[in-house]
Amino acid sequence: MRRLAAAPGVAAATFLLAAPLLLERGTLNDLWSLALGVVLASAWNLLGGFAGQVSLGYSAFLGIGAYTTALLSLRGVNPFLTLPLGALLAALFSVAIGLPAFRLRGPYFTIATIGVGEAVRVAAASVAFTGGSSGLRMPAGSFDFTLNYYAMAALAILAVLLAAAVRASAFGTALAAIRQDIDAAEALGVNSTRFKLLAHALSAAVVSLAGSLYAINFQYIAPGSVFDFRLSLSIVLAPIVGGVGTVAGPVLGALVFSTLQIKLLAVPALRDAYLLLYGGLLVLVMLYEPTGLVGLARRLLGARRPAVPAREAPGAG
Amino acid sequence: MSNLATVLVNTLLAAGLYATMAYGLAVIYGVMRIINLAHAGILMLGAYVTLTLFERFQIDPFLGLAAVGPLFFVFGVGLFRAFGRRLRRSGGGPSMESLLLLFGVWLILQNLAYYVWSGDTQSILTGYTLKSVPVLGVRVGVPSLLVFGASAASLLVLTLLLSKTYLGKAIRAVTQNRDAALLVGVDADRISAVAFGLGTAFAGVAGGMLATLFAFTPDFGRSFLLKAFCIIVLGGMESVAGVAVGALVLAFIENGLAVWTTVPTSFQDAVTFTLLFVALVAFPQGLPGLLARFARRPVAR
Amino acid sequence: MSRYRIARRRTPPFLAAALLAGSSLCAGSAPADDDVRIGAVLPVTGKESKIGGAFKVATEYAVKEANETGGLVVAGKRMKIDLRLLDDTSDAAKSAQLVEQLIAQQKVAAVLGGYGSQLVQAQSVVPERYGIPFVAGGAGASAIYGRSKWVFGTLSPVENLAETQMDFLADLVKAARLKPPLKIALVWENTEHGKDFQKGVRDFVKAHPKEFSIPLDESFELYAADFKPLLTRVAAAKADLFMCDAHLEDYISMHRTYTQMGLYHQMVTYGARGADEAGRKGLGAATDYIFASGWWSDLLPYPQVKSFVEKFKAATGVAPQWYHACAYETARALFAAIRAAGSLKPEAIRDALAKLELKDSILPGGVLRYSKTGQAILPFVVTQNKPAGKLDIVWPKDAKTGDAVAPIPR
Repeated sequence: MRRLAAAPGVAAATFLLAAPLLLERGTLNDLWSLALGVVLASAWNLLGGFAGQVSLGYSAFLGIGAYTTALLSLRGVNPFLTLPLGALLAALFSVAIGLPAFRLRGPYFTIATIGVGEAVRVAAASVAFTGGSSGLRMPAGSFDFTLNYYAMAALAILAVLLAAAVRASAFGTALAAIRQDIDAAEALGVNSTRFKLLAHALSAAVVSLAGSLYAINFQYIAPGSVFDFRLSLSIVLAPIVGGVGTVAGPVLGALVFSTLQIKLLAVPALRDAYLLLYGGLLVLVMLYEPTGLVGLARRLLGARRPAVPAREAPGAG
Repeated sequence: MSNLATVLVNTLLAAGLYATMAYGLAVIYGVMRIINLAHAGILMLGAYVTLTLFERFQIDPFLGLAAVGPLFFVFGVGLFRAFGRRLRRSGGGPSMESLLLLFGVWLILQNLAYYVWSGDTQSILTGYTLKSVPVLGVRVGVPSLLVFGASAASLLVLTLLLSKTYLGKAIRAVTQNRDAALLVGVDADRISAVAFGLGTAFAGVAGGMLATLFAFTPDFGRSFLLKAFCIIVLGGMESVAGVAVGALVLAFIENGLAVWTTVPTSFQDAVTFTLLFVALVAFPQGLPGLLARFARRPVAR
Repeated sequence: MSRYRIARRRTPPFLAAALLAGSSLCAGSAPADDDVRIGAVLPVTGKESKIGGAFKVATEYAVKEANETGGLVVAGKRMKIDLRLLDDTSDAAKSAQLVEQLIAQQKVAAVLGGYGSQLVQAQSVVPERYGIPFVAGGAGASAIYGRSKWVFGTLSPVENLAETQMDFLADLVKAARLKPPLKIALVWENTEHGKDFQKGVRDFVKAHPKEFSIPLDESFELYAADFKPLLTRVAAAKADLFMCDAHLEDYISMHRTYTQMGLYHQMVTYGARGADEAGRKGLGAATDYIFASGWWSDLLPYPQVKSFVEKFKAATGVAPQWYHACAYETARALFAAIRAAGSLKPEAIRDALAKLELKDSILPGGVLRYSKTGQAILPFVVTQNKPAGKLDIVWPKDAKTGDAVAPIPR
């Protein structure tokens, strides 16, 4: 199954990298957004999917990356050189949050992350060095779309590879054990907090990298955009619709949401219904196919499966 | 007008408001271990239904609540019947599916409100909206007083309902130990449906009361949701009296900070959210649990 | 954590459709030969939907009017305006992306910007990249302008709005209607708009220390759940004037609390808020004597304003507010520039915008032109609510429809 899924993955990666030679700028823009969606969904999935710890505070990490990049660029640093620092800061912050928060389970953890995300937003809007609610503009002349495109495309590919590597590793097995039954995992000697912290830090760093590239590409950031609660929510939607805990799921989910956003929202009748669409999609998935599009595809393809929950079935992609 | 009186009176009033918007969340959580992310949407819907009753049929918003309550009870039971498969409590822990499902419901409700009532800012103005009366030398708005009264009454009714009636006892039994309740023959499914309806009804009524204080749009309720979370966490997640305690603490902090410190009021929300986090992590049993721990006796719920 | 169980149910066709939709990404198309394609990105839904929706109505009306009166003559050819209007759902990142989409994929000749400083901030970095003219009718934050030669804006700076209010107050002091020194309780929403307002008031007070001082300067988060803590501080400051900058929802909720607490100040303003119908509906007589300054008023004593109000009402069924007027005038300015340029070349349209003098403008002053930074600098009108739902322009003096009541009778 894994080898089977590798072929479309390689094809997609090749297409993504070759696209600037084939497609016009507008379509590349859409692909950039798609790549961003893939990065966020895949990174969130490391903790939210593999380890089953659903966080609704991921905008904090995106914001940390974006603000690190913007603040340093305004002081003359090359924007791309700021990426590692942003990732490091986000990882450190994720540990600082995770240490206390991972004592909580399930929805308690989720609520705590909402609190953190909102506190960070309000703080960023209220202190002076971030430019407060006015936000920050990147210095002029730091924009090269082709470069931005390749950076985001490369990050997307890396994020998916990272997810695949984690899933195949002993680390991934430990995370799966935590998701399925944290007490049993602990009883078997899995130090759940350490693994959760590691997954959290890893995904925070990747999201922060995406945040830096976001700032570089959009050139303007503000607490209302990069720290927004709605952003945290939308980060969660794609992997869930695609299929949590799989490698292919977040990619599929990101594809669906990017397309919805780009194409369907341009249709006047659907434009006013985007919340209905997102909400409806979420409700349908939770009601009929909690394993998301990946689970659906498996069912349609008639994959024979033993009686284990699909999320735990091996070789998702 | 002394500072202390100001803080105390304003704290009480704000606590009444805050408790009102958090009861529904606590009732549903208690029985089903569901974090109702659709809560904000139901608050919003309650506000709009109250508005419609007021504008179409000239029904006073507080009287309208008598209709809003049953209406939302039915709505809540309907929601449970429609989505029950995923809302039902499986095993001991709270379920993630229900959280996400109800989040989807929230988005849908918001969109429906845009369709039905448009994105315009709405408000309800009655003859007493702008009136005030002195309490301990502090001027207090009449709607705030009414909300406080309704909140205290809700606390009383809920407490009586939970302690005196069969239904309430069953609800509490399911809250405390679902499996044991099933063993003694409580129809847990029916109880869950009723509790979900009850929680939805309280949320709808709360929305109606909020509509008498605030101007609102379909986006309404989002800023209250996190406050409500903070309150039920402080209150220990499931007890109705705990909610009242949590609301008092939060309101006291907000009003105290404004009067006795120079912390900018724009930090008010950051304080709330930090408090939410700290409370969850430091005393997940809430303040009642914390007090109980200090009193060195088992947590009574 | 519970496990995800498999539901062996029939799958709704919706999911399959979504999967199909997800697999197709197709490209945009160029406009027809006799069309001038104009893009617009507005917050039709979401947080800013109230005014965003009004912008949509007014922009569509301006396009309809222009098309009905012959369209645009470009290089001797009569062309129709083809408006491509997208909704950014009040999301800044999406807003910027949609502007990019309009320019790169739909090949629009020019873009009409959105409403809300933060959204327009995000949009305004895009036009520079492609060299496409961009005119915003809904962002007064001066930080947006002067960075790119392609970006124009019809709203005068918010600092000037505050300054106009201070001019008005200073004039009342000069006329001995208000007695100096006056203490100002300054309260602002924590947004770009609020910050600019605060800066405008502060700068003026710094230059007039004898007349004014600011003992209280506080901001608040949008859609606050309880304004009592903040207003308790306002009460403790014992100020003479109350100057606040707020969104419509917060204005209504805050002023309710203000009224219930029995606060009194000699003059009260909520920035641009005050004359709104929704405010009157939610506050009734409590809005009496509140003064507000705005970018436009239907009371302006110009014949073109009167005719605009009548035609707009007849066509849309809505009585135009300042945001309708600004959106309409922004679209009209762009059309006038395209006519003057006589070409769809971006450079030509841009130059025409920079040189534009819209002589029959419905905005205060009667002439719309863009300054060197691209932002229009027009006078503001100050209005004051009077009892029984009456409204008067009380400033500037030459547009006055009534005298200011100051101080507010207790």
